[in-house]
Amino acid sequence: MRSFSLTIKNLVRKPGRTTVLTLLTAFLALAVFGGSVVVFSLRRGLNSLEARLGADIILVPSEAQSKVSFQNMFLQGTTGAFYMDASVLDKALEVEGVEKAAPQTFLASLKADCCSIKIQVIGIDPERDFTVQPWIARSLTRGLGDMDVAVGCKVEADVGEIIRIYDQRCKVISRLEATGTGLDTAVYCSMDTMNALLAAAEDKGVSHKIESGDQLISAVYVKVKDGCDIDAVNSRLNGHIRKVTAVRTRSMLTGVSDSLAGVSRTVTVLIAAVWALAFLILLLVFALIVRERAREFAVLRLVGASRGMLARMVLLESALCGLLGGLLGVGLAALLLFPFAGLIESALNLPYLMPDTGIILLLAAGTVLLAVAVAALSSVTAAYRLSRVDPGTALREGN
Amino acid sequence: MRKQIIPSIIILILAIVIAVGSQTFLSPCVHEDGSFATCHWAGQALLGLGCVLGVLGALALCVKRARPGVFLSALPVCILGILTPGTLIDLCRMSAMHCRMVMQPAMIILFSAALLCALTGAILSMRK
Repeated sequence: MRSFSLTIKNLVRKPGRTTVLTLLTAFLALAVFGGSVVVFSLRRGLNSLEARLGADIILVPSEAQSKVSFQNMFLQGTTGAFYMDASVLDKALEVEGVEKAAPQTFLASLKADCCSIKIQVIGIDPERDFTVQPWIARSLTRGLGDMDVAVGCKVEADVGEIIRIYDQRCKVISRLEATGTGLDTAVYCSMDTMNALLAAAEDKGVSHKIESGDQLISAVYVKVKDGCDIDAVNSRLNGHIRKVTAVRTRSMLTGVSDSLAGVSRTVTVLIAAVWALAFLILLLVFALIVRERAREFAVLRLVGASRGMLARMVLLESALCGLLGGLLGVGLAALLLFPFAGLIESALNLPYLMPDTGIILLLAAGTVLLAVAVAALSSVTAAYRLSRVDPGTALREGN
Repeated sequence: MRKQIIPSIIILILAIVIAVGSQTFLSPCVHEDGSFATCHWAGQALLGLGCVLGVLGALALCVKRARPGVFLSALPVCILGILTPGTLIDLCRMSAMHCRMVMQPAMIILFSAALLCALTGAILSMRK
């Protein structure tokens, strides 16, 4: 207890040294906590995207085959609209190996209608849909009725509020769970509502680029039967349906997961570099401290402090600096990561979904423990050398 | 003496960042056609609050005798600054937009930091 109060006094009386040690460990903790939360968020985002893209193949009009723009619709919520005839759905179901298929229709709203910018409106067929519906169903208390919409979590509209899309009054009946993808910025409605919105858009002069009056869809999501070769079904779909391109969802996800692996690697290397550098600096700082404090420890030895007590004191001082630094670093990282999560997501251009609170708390606790351990570890040599100081020599040599 | 000057300098710097930021890198959204977005007025209010905070910071720095009162009067300004984007004045209705992604969190952090400084300054100057 006496050595603890002496340790606290040492830390308070030497604010410069305490601040340097605390800031160094804070820097370490910031790098580790920040980096691990980003990597966890990216992994969770990819899992969420995989779950949302429950289909094996997506059929889109050939004009929309630029995979990048299609991918951007999922990742960034970029608005886009392309149309094909609804007969594509029946043709897809005729193809051998196709277990089920569900249509979706896309429409980009005008910017001023509800949200200051264009938003993507996605029409789904609740009876056939197997990709979006399970996710929507978790947040819905009733089915999507006429002119009802469910909004992604990034659309700031309250349940029960009326939003206007192409001057059509749509009632928000639910806000959906976050997915960390572009799907969070979209508005979902039934096909009947979508047809009314398409007609309203046409009245406003928005062309759908194919013959008006046809039943329009934008994409068909295909689930392949178990045991069937997805590539073979993909080729059959490409051959069987004209002016349509079948895209394997795996190829879309591969690009995303490759980018994610790249970001994860970079973050890991950066964390390792920061740790190595900071550990070396801490070792250096403690080596200098040994010189500076030799006389102080010699006096303590003369007044009866045991070697063990002195070693414990040094270790405790560094561990306390590690604790303070760890808490400071985690706090700073939290201040940057949580309020600016949207900005990070937009800058990385990858699916980004924050981990659950429990995991974040575990990461924070782990980081603080690691900071304490590294600070204590880097002072072990200094503790050993200081506890072995010969009082006579130290006092004679000191100036 | 020096301990009381530090909070006023920090408040002054934060106020400059708030005022300049609200019109530049922390600005509200801008439509492609140049029209005002919903969040434009929040940006204007933040510019005003940043200027008021700047004046208070400068007063705290220069007028020694008025320091406790100046620090105390900065508190409601900071609280207003925290509440302005999103609570008192509407922002755009999409979380992925610049005003919600950058302006709001940055302003809340900057005004919170100024609030802490003003509180510290008030305590230090009243203790004298």
